[in-house]
Amino acid sequence: MKSFLTVWVLSALLVLTTAESCANPKVQATSYTPADAEVLTHIAYIAEFTLTCSNGATNVNLFADINGAVMPVIRSQDGSKYQVSWTESLKAAKKGDRPIRLYDEEGFAAVKRILERDEDPSSVKPLVQIEINYPGAYTGPWMKSEHLASLMIFLVFYLAYSSKNGLTA
Amino acid sequence: FRGIFASHLVSSHIMPVSRIALLLCVLVWPALVWGGNQASTGGSAGSNAQARLLVAKQIQNKYLVEGKDIVVKYSLYNVGESAALNVLLSEKGFGEQDFDVVGGQMNVRLDRLAAGANHSHVVVVRPKRFGYFNFTAAEVKYQPSEEIQTIQVGYTGTEPHQAPIIALRDYEKQFSSHMLDWLAFAAMTLPSLGIPFLLWTSSKSKYEAIARSKKD
Repeated sequence: MKSFLTVWVLSALLVLTTAESCANPKVQATSYTPADAEVLTHIAYIAEFTLTCSNGATNVNLFADINGAVMPVIRSQDGSKYQVSWTESLKAAKKGDRPIRLYDEEGFAAVKRILERDEDPSSVKPLVQIEINYPGAYTGPWMKSEHLASLMIFLVFYLAYSSKNGLTA
Repeated sequence: FRGIFASHLVSSHIMPVSRIALLLCVLVWPALVWGGNQASTGGSAGSNAQARLLVAKQIQNKYLVEGKDIVVKYSLYNVGESAALNVLLSEKGFGEQDFDVVGGQMNVRLDRLAAGANHSHVVVVRPKRFGYFNFTAAEVKYQPSEEIQTIQVGYTGTEPHQAPIIALRDYEKQFSSHMLDWLAFAAMTLPSLGIPFLLWTSSKSKYEAIARSKKD
């Protein structure tokens, strides 16, 4: 009886110290992509979010599917916020929504098994999904103003010269 | 019990199956345990397998300009043989009086970085002032393996060490589109073009009116 109790207590402690699973996950996310990329070489995609679970779990290990690679999600040191972030070069960055699928430990194990078989991991239902929208960034004017000015000057000169020729001819 | 075994030994030289099984179990079990121990601690290196983290901090900007974003990327690589546990990355180099943090967390934790794996973390800051700035290293702390309890402390390699943050006025002088300046220039050249043109059109229309009245 005593040994059974010890085992039960130890296993309960084990459950408490390792990561918990999340019931009814709710996510509050903010995302950031730079709007002005004139001075940048790469665009940053940053999503910060908090996870609330109806069963009160706080130490949930999450894994994110970022551009096809599934990796653990970084957290703030106090554990309250999660962050998913990566950078892409200016040329490679495409406008639009980037969905990020977040998995818990079970989901991650399932995705790993599917990836080992070279199959599509989108069949595994994620715990929760967030999105980063990249509307594009300003990389400078289409045409330099001095080029536009020289074009206008040439146009005005051409009009004046051709009408003068038309008059004096 | 002893009697049963003794009688078996006496009766035949061939060992019964049950005895072979028992002997095998006794011999094989410690080998399995030892082998298992080896596998969990990383094999050839014995029990000395450790994680070793290399962390790079890159500033992905063409120029550093006051009031414009600076993208800082931290790349973590585990080149050791064991997973690094409880990796803490702390960046204290972008103080509140000099920088606004626009996106990302400065002090973060990664529970586990597997051997041979890499990870990245991005922070975006905006400088509040211009001038020369010392870019310092971020600190990384981690537990090299499950058995080793002492925390390993490392620092990222930084580049550049001291770099100028350009004042917004100087940056705009060189790189802005100057549309307003050109429109002002066009407005200023308008008198020297417009006045002769107006004189010409007024005299032209006067003569055309005279020619028309002569025809009539």
